[in-house]
Amino acid sequence: MRTAYTISAIGHAAVLLWSVWSLSATSLPVASTEGLPVDLVTASDFSKITAGSKDAPKAETPKPLVEKVAEANPVEDPTAKVVEKKEVKAAREPPPAPEAKPAEPEPEKKQAEAKPDPIADALAKDEAKKPEPKKADAKPPTPPKKPAPPTPKFDPKQVAALLDKRDSTRLAAAGETLNNAPSLGLSNGAAAQLSLSELEALRARLAQLWTVPAGAKDPQELVVLIRIKLNRDGKLAAPPVVLSSGKSPLFMAARDSAIRALFRGQPYDMLKPEHYEQWKDVEITFDPRDMIRG
Amino acid sequence: MLGAGAAAGALASLSPQRAAAVLKLDVTQGNVQPVPIAIPDFIGVGVQDPAAGRNVSQIIASNLRRSGLFAPIDPAAYIEKISTIDALPRFPDWRQINAQALVTGRITQSDGRLKAEFRLWDVFAGQQLRGEQYNTTADNWRRIAHIISDAIYERITGEKGYFDSRVVFVDESGPKERRIKRLALMDQDGANVRYLTRGDDLVLTPRFSSAADTITYMSYSQGDPRVYLMNIETGQREIVSNFPGMTFSPRFSPDGQRVIFSLQRGGNSNLFVMDLRSKATTRLTDTQVIDTAPSYSPDGTRISFESDRGGKQQIYVMAANGGEAQRISFGEGAYSTPVWSPRGDYIAFTKQTESRFAIGIMRADGSGERILTEGYHNEGPTWAPNGRVIMFFRDPGGNAGPMLYTVDVTGRNEQILKTPSYASDPAWSPLLQ
Repeated sequence: MRTAYTISAIGHAAVLLWSVWSLSATSLPVASTEGLPVDLVTASDFSKITAGSKDAPKAETPKPLVEKVAEANPVEDPTAKVVEKKEVKAAREPPPAPEAKPAEPEPEKKQAEAKPDPIADALAKDEAKKPEPKKADAKPPTPPKKPAPPTPKFDPKQVAALLDKRDSTRLAAAGETLNNAPSLGLSNGAAAQLSLSELEALRARLAQLWTVPAGAKDPQELVVLIRIKLNRDGKLAAPPVVLSSGKSPLFMAARDSAIRALFRGQPYDMLKPEHYEQWKDVEITFDPRDMIRG
Repeated sequence: MLGAGAAAGALASLSPQRAAAVLKLDVTQGNVQPVPIAIPDFIGVGVQDPAAGRNVSQIIASNLRRSGLFAPIDPAAYIEKISTIDALPRFPDWRQINAQALVTGRITQSDGRLKAEFRLWDVFAGQQLRGEQYNTTADNWRRIAHIISDAIYERITGEKGYFDSRVVFVDESGPKERRIKRLALMDQDGANVRYLTRGDDLVLTPRFSSAADTITYMSYSQGDPRVYLMNIETGQREIVSNFPGMTFSPRFSPDGQRVIFSLQRGGNSNLFVMDLRSKATTRLTDTQVIDTAPSYSPDGTRISFESDRGGKQQIYVMAANGGEAQRISFGEGAYSTPVWSPRGDYIAFTKQTESRFAIGIMRADGSGERILTEGYHNEGPTWAPNGRVIMFFRDPGGNAGPMLYTVDVTGRNEQILKTPSYASDPAWSPLLQ
C-alpha cells in the first residue's frame, strides 16, 4: 500500500514537473509597428457618419493646437516674394510712407540675410510689430489672402524652427501654419494622416449624391475618373476635371452625374482642416460596376 | 455597404499619397434615386390653345416620372418664372429647390405648323446639356412631347429613350364567359387608343415588325387558327400561311422580311419561317414534341424558343437556320415565352412554379436569371425599344380580367398602365420613325 502511494506520488510529481518545463511558452518576438491612424467612434456614431443622415448631431472638430492662422507675413516668406516680384514695382503708385527706411533693400537680398540667421529674423519680426513702416512695405508685395502659395521643398522657416527649441510652444498661440497633431511616437509617425472615418464619410456623402444609371448594358462605360481641388473650407477650388474619356452617351451621362454629385456635396466638412494638405487634391474613381452586376 | 476590400483599398491608397499629393478614392456605391427635374410650362407663341405649352410639359413630366428614373418637381415650388428660353436660367433659384436638371421650351404655331424648341440645363454645373427644335403639324403635339422626353431621357441616363413608341394589345371587354377580344393600338403612355379589329374573331399574340407599321397576330374565326399580317395604318390584312394544321405564335425577324411561327400537326408542333416576299417556307425543327414561342436575337443570327423535348417546358437557343438547340433554362418549374431584348443582353420569359407565374430575365447563355415580378398569373413579356423596361399582363384571377403592367429590368418601378378595359398580350413597337 505504502509503495503504491509512493509510486503514485512520484509519478504525479514527475508529470507535473515535465509539464512545467515542456509546456512553458516561449515568448513571441513583437516587432514595433507603426500605429494606424484611427478615430475611436462608437458604433452609432459610425453608422451616422456613413449613413450621412441629416439629423445626426454635428461632430465637433477637435481644436488644433493653433487657434488661428496668423496673417501671412510676406517679409518672412522668401518664395512668395520671388513670385510676386512684379507687383513690388506696381506698388510705387501708392507711396504713403515718406519716412520708410531708405535701407529698404532688394527683396532677394533680404531673404539672403534672413535665411541663415534666425535672430535677424526675430528682429525683423519685432520691427514688423511697429505699425507704421510695416504698412508701407508689407502690403503691396503680397495680398495677404493669396490662396496657398506653393510650399518650397527647403523651407528656411523650418530651419529656424529646428534651431529654436522653443519654437513649437511659441507657435502654439498663432503661426503661419496650423500645427500638425503630435505624431504617435515613431520618427515616421503618421498621426496627421486622414483617418479612415473621414475618408469613409467622404465616400458615403458622394455615394449618397451620385445617381447610378442602374440597369445599363455596358457598365464599363460608366467608370469615371475625376480630379478635384478643394479649398480649406471644403469647397471646390475649381470645377472638377474629368481624367477619363469617352464619347458614348452612357459615359457622358455617368460623367455628368458624378460631377453633379461633386457640386452638390460641398462643402466637404467631414474632412478635418488639420489634414488639409492631404485632401486638398483628390482623385476619385466613380465605378458602379459592382452595383450593376448581378 | 462599404466592403472591407474598399476600406483596405482606401488604406493602401493612403500610403503613397503622402509623397504624391493626390488622395485617391474609389466610390463604388451610388444611389438609384430618381433625378429631380424641373419642367416649367413651355412658352406658347401664337398657339390656339393657351394650355398647349402646359400640356407638352405635363406629358414630358409624366413620361419621365413613369420611367422611375426622374422625379419631376411640383411646379408650385418653382421660384423663377421662365419667360424666355433664350436667356440663361437663374441657376441658384433652381438649385434652391434641389432641381438637378431643368427643361425650358417654347412652342410656336403658325399656319397649322408647330415648332417646338427645348433646352435641357444641368443646374449644378450651370450649362446646357442639350437644345433642339422640331417641326411638325399641329395635331402631332403629343408625339413632339414624347420625342422631347426621349431626348431628355437619353442625355441624362445615357440610354436610348422609348417614349415615342406604341403598344398593340388585346382589348378584352364584356363578361368573363363571353369576352370580346379586339386588337387595339395606343401610345406607350396609354393615350390615343384605337381599335384594329371588331371583335368577331378571337385574336391572340399580336407582334410588331421592325417597321412599326405592320403587326402579325394569330386569329381564330372558323376552322384552324391562322397567322395574319396587318398594316396598322391602312388596316389591310393578309394570311401569312395556309397550311393544314394550326399556325400560331408568330413573330417578325429583326429585318421585318420574315415571320417565324409554329405549326401544329397532330400532337406536336414545330417551328417554321416564311419569307414574306417569296412566300417560301422553311422548316426549322422536326421533332415529336412541342416547339413554340420562337423569338429572334436582335442581330437575327439566333432563335430562342420554348420546347418540352426535355420533359418540361424549357427555353432553348439555336441558330437562325435551325440545327442543334442548346437548353439555357435549368431552374425549377416550367419556362415559356422567351423574348429576346432589343439590346441583345437578356431574354425575358414567363416562369411557372406550382401555381405561380413569374416574369424574369436571363442572359442568352442562361446565366444571371432574375425574377422581376411574381404572382398568381403574369404572362406575355414584351420589351421597350431600349431594352430597359418590360411590359406584361397580369390576371388577378376571379371575375376580374387582365391588366397591363410595366417593370424595369432591375425589377424596380412596377407600374400599371391604364387601358379602357381589360387588356392582355401587349407588344411594344420599336421607336417610331
